[in-house]
This record gives sequence, structure tokens and C-alpha cells, in this order.
Amino acid sequence: MTAKRMAAWFLLALIVAAAIVLVLPGHSYSQQDREAPLAGASAQHPAGTDALGRDRLVRVSAAMLLSLAGSVIASAITTAAAAGIGTLAAFSPAGVGSVAMLLCDAFLALPWLFLLMMVRSALPLTTSPLHSAAITFLVLAALGWPACARAVYRGAQDLRRAEWMLQARATGLRRRQVLRSVVPNLMPLLLPQFLLCIPAFVMAEANLGALGLGIGEPLPSWGGMLLELDNSAMLLSTRWVYLPIALLILILLLLEAISAEPA
Amino acid sequence: MSLALHGLQRLLRTFAILLIVAVGSTVLVRYAPGYLSDAREMDARYAGTVRTELAAEAERSQALGPLLASQIRGWMHGDFGVSRQYGVPVLELIEPRLANTGILLLQAIGLAWLLAGSTALLSSARKRPSLLWQIPATLLLAIPTAAMATLCLLANSGGPLLVLTLLLAARDFKLLDRILRKTWRDPHLLHARAQGLGPLAMLRAHVIPSIASDLRTLATLSIVTGLSALVPVEVIFSVPGLGQLAWNAALNRDLPILLAITMIMAVCVTFAGMLSEGEAEWKAV
Repeated sequence: MTAKRMAAWFLLALIVAAAIVLVLPGHSYSQQDREAPLAGASAQHPAGTDALGRDRLVRVSAAMLLSLAGSVIASAITTAAAAGIGTLAAFSPAGVGSVAMLLCDAFLALPWLFLLMMVRSALPLTTSPLHSAAITFLVLAALGWPACARAVYRGAQDLRRAEWMLQARATGLRRRQVLRSVVPNLMPLLLPQFLLCIPAFVMAEANLGALGLGIGEPLPSWGGMLLELDNSAMLLSTRWVYLPIALLILILLLLEAISAEPA
Repeated sequence: MSLALHGLQRLLRTFAILLIVAVGSTVLVRYAPGYLSDAREMDARYAGTVRTELAAEAERSQALGPLLASQIRGWMHGDFGVSRQYGVPVLELIEPRLANTGILLLQAIGLAWLLAGSTALLSSARKRPSLLWQIPATLLLAIPTAAMATLCLLANSGGPLLVLTLLLAARDFKLLDRILRKTWRDPHLLHARAQGLGPLAMLRAHVIPSIASDLRTLATLSIVTGLSALVPVEVIFSVPGLGQLAWNAALNRDLPILLAITMIMAVCVTFAGMLSEGEAEWKAV
């Protein structure tokens, strides 16, 4: 079994385990045990509780599923947008392609985190936690496409110059028919881009959350849970506070292994 | 003549990118649903004054055209507006922090290149990628910057420079190792090696010249990565730099500061990109 496949199976096992933890009766990410704030591991709370008495294992499981689901959706949106823009730019007149790539360069000129911070801070004060989660991942999707679009543009340009494509156009294939045959040929380029975006988005969400600009409470998120590391009282009371960061690193390593190019 | 024309073309492209960034950022901020809201509205002591200020701002920024024109004119003259939370010109807040951020970033990039360059040279000399270097680099890239900085702070070892250097070195190592591994296997280098040319002479005469354009691209990438990592590093280690100022502005919805810092970042990245791409293209002309 290859390392890539092993990583995929391990990640799937983690996802199933997290889903089981969440569906067990009485396991809600916002449910408080007011008798046991900052508690260590026990039969009732296997990974202890946070400062508000919420079960850490349940919150970590929910954060993992939310982050992965959001990142996968954002990655799918960004890859689809990049595929559309890159392909259309490559098959349009040269001027349109140049303008599209100029737009890509403008996006690429802005470091992600600054743009994310600007967009997040421009949201209304009354944004609900669920909306903040949706907006965070939508913003990631909206900002992630330019690098991917550039790669698709180059790939599509190569296809445009390919002999079979010249022949197809010479035989009178319409633009729509041509584009329909281009997209399957771009799949070897799009799939790695899709896989590469997932860990990047998980990481961006964690960094944004750790700065207090990510998903709002009481929804659990990696970034929000990393903020617990700032609480020295919590660090002294239990080692389980390191569970979210350990799990986050493990998931990022697994995603990295899945998206790695073969040697 | 063609060299000058090419340079002019690149310069025009750079200015076009900056113009798009300026217009895009202003439009994004102006039409954001939270543009006319302020965190101080939650505080009864300031709510009245803030609402009056916001009403005045709404009046001022109603038409996008004049707003854009005055904004860009102001930036051209070094006027970045007035901070909403501090009530002082944005430039006064940015100037003293620019040096702190610049020095930290330059030191980190320099050290990271030294670390990544030496480890990549050692690693690429072997036939297969060495796990000794690959594992730490992969692990470092899997740790979010904020978490790495917090862990350093908790362990009471290392500071902002160490975190930034490690992050940049890990990323640069991965790319440099791949570039060098490919270059060492070029037929002319294999031939030179067979002829008995020493590794240092090969490096100086063949390897570095052939990867020069990749190195310039890597330098731009280092700047972009460093700028993105600045915010968590400066916030967690309390470094009074641009990243910390931007974070503070984001939390307090001080959009003039955020807009100004975003523009400064865009200028840095675009000019770095122009220099790295430009030189490679001029050589090809």
C-alpha cells in the first residue's frame, strides 16, 4: 500500500471517528458541564473540558469536520473558478487573456492573510457564528483561485496549440465543443490543484481563528481552540489542551501526503 | 531599444496591477456590509460621537468616483487618511513600525536562505531525497504560524526571528532541493562531473548561473510568505510592527489603516515580482 493511500485511509478513519463522537447522544459542542470547567480526562470527558466546561473531544471532532468540510467546499469552488477563468482566458482573443492574467497578478500581489483580515473586519458586528464560518470559507475560495487559474491558463494554452486541437478546430468544431474536450484533458492539472488547496485553506482558517478573526464562538474551530494555548491556567491544569494542535498537525501532514507529487 | 521598451512595458504592467489593487480594495471596503459600523458603537460612552462621525463618512463616501479619485490622489501624496480608532494620520502610525517590520523580515529572509541553501546543497547531493532534511521541513510546514509562535512562547525559547526563519527556511528548502536535484542531473553537469570538475567549481560555473532565475522567483516567494506570516508572529510576540498594527486595525474595524497596509504590501510584492521576472526576461530579449 502506498504512503498516499495509507494517508487517505487514516484520514477517513479520523473523519469517521469524529462523526461517531458527534452523533453519540448528549454530545453537543456547545453543551456546558458547569460542575467541571478546566477538568482533566475522565470517563465522562475523555479529553477533559475547556474553560467553559465544554467537552474537548466533542469540540475537536466538530472543529475537524467543520474545517475539512469547509476547506473541501472552498477548494472545489476555487478550482472550478480557476478552471473556468483559465480555460476561457486561454481560448479567448489574446487581449482578454492578458486582462484576465493581469487580474490574477493583482490578486497575487496581495498577501492572503492581509486580504482575509480586511474582508473579515469589513463584516457587520452582528454576523452570526454560522455566517462567519460560511463567509470565512467563501472568502478563502474567492481569494484562492488566481494561482490555480495561472496554472490552468498555461495548461490550456498548451492544449490550444496541440495538434489534435488544431485539427479539431480545422474540422469545424464549435467553441463549446472544443471547450468540452479541453476540460477532461485539464483534469491531471486540476486534481492536484484541488488537493493542494485543502491543506492551505485548513491552515489559513487556523491562522485567522488564532488571531480572533475566524469562525465565531460557540462554533468550534481550529483557530479558536489554538487560543486556549494562551491560557496559562489551562496549560497547568491539563495536558489535553495540546490535543487540538496535535490533531491539526496530524491532519495537515496527512493532507500533505495525499496531495504530494509522486517522487 | 527593445530592452528599454521591455522595461517600460513591465513598469506599465506593474502600475496597472497597483491601480487594480487600489481600486479593488477601495471598492471592497466601501461596499462591505460593515463599512459604516465601528466597534466603539457598542460602548455607550462613545456611541453618539461615533454615529455622528459615521454619518459624516457616509455622506462623504456616497459617490464612488470622487471617493476613488481622492483616495488615489491622497496615496500618491503620501496621505493615507486618518485612523478611525486613534484619530491620527495613518502615516504617523505606519512610519515607526515600518523599520521594525522591514528589519525583522530582512533578517529572517537572509537567515532562511542561508539555512535552506546549505541544507538543500547537502540534501541534493544524495541520489534519493534524504529523510533527515525532508521530515523536519514537512513538519515545520504543517504547523500553523500562530501555533508555532505560541509554542515557542510557551517553551520560553526562540522569538519572532526564529519562527519566521524556520517557516521560510522550510518552504525555501523544499523548493531549492527540488531545483538543485533537477539541475545536478542535467547532462552537461553529469559530463562535467565525469570530466573531474570539483563540486565548488561546478556550483560556481554551472549550477548557480542555471538556477539564477529560479532563485529570483524564490526570493519573491520568500517575501510573500514572510509578509503573510508577519501578522501572527508580530501579534503573538508583541512586536510593534505593521502586522500587529494591521491585526489591531482588523479587530477594531479601522479600515483606513488596513487599506494603507494592504497597499504597502501590494507595492512590495509587485516590485519584487517585477525585478525577479524582469531581469530574466531582459536576458532573453
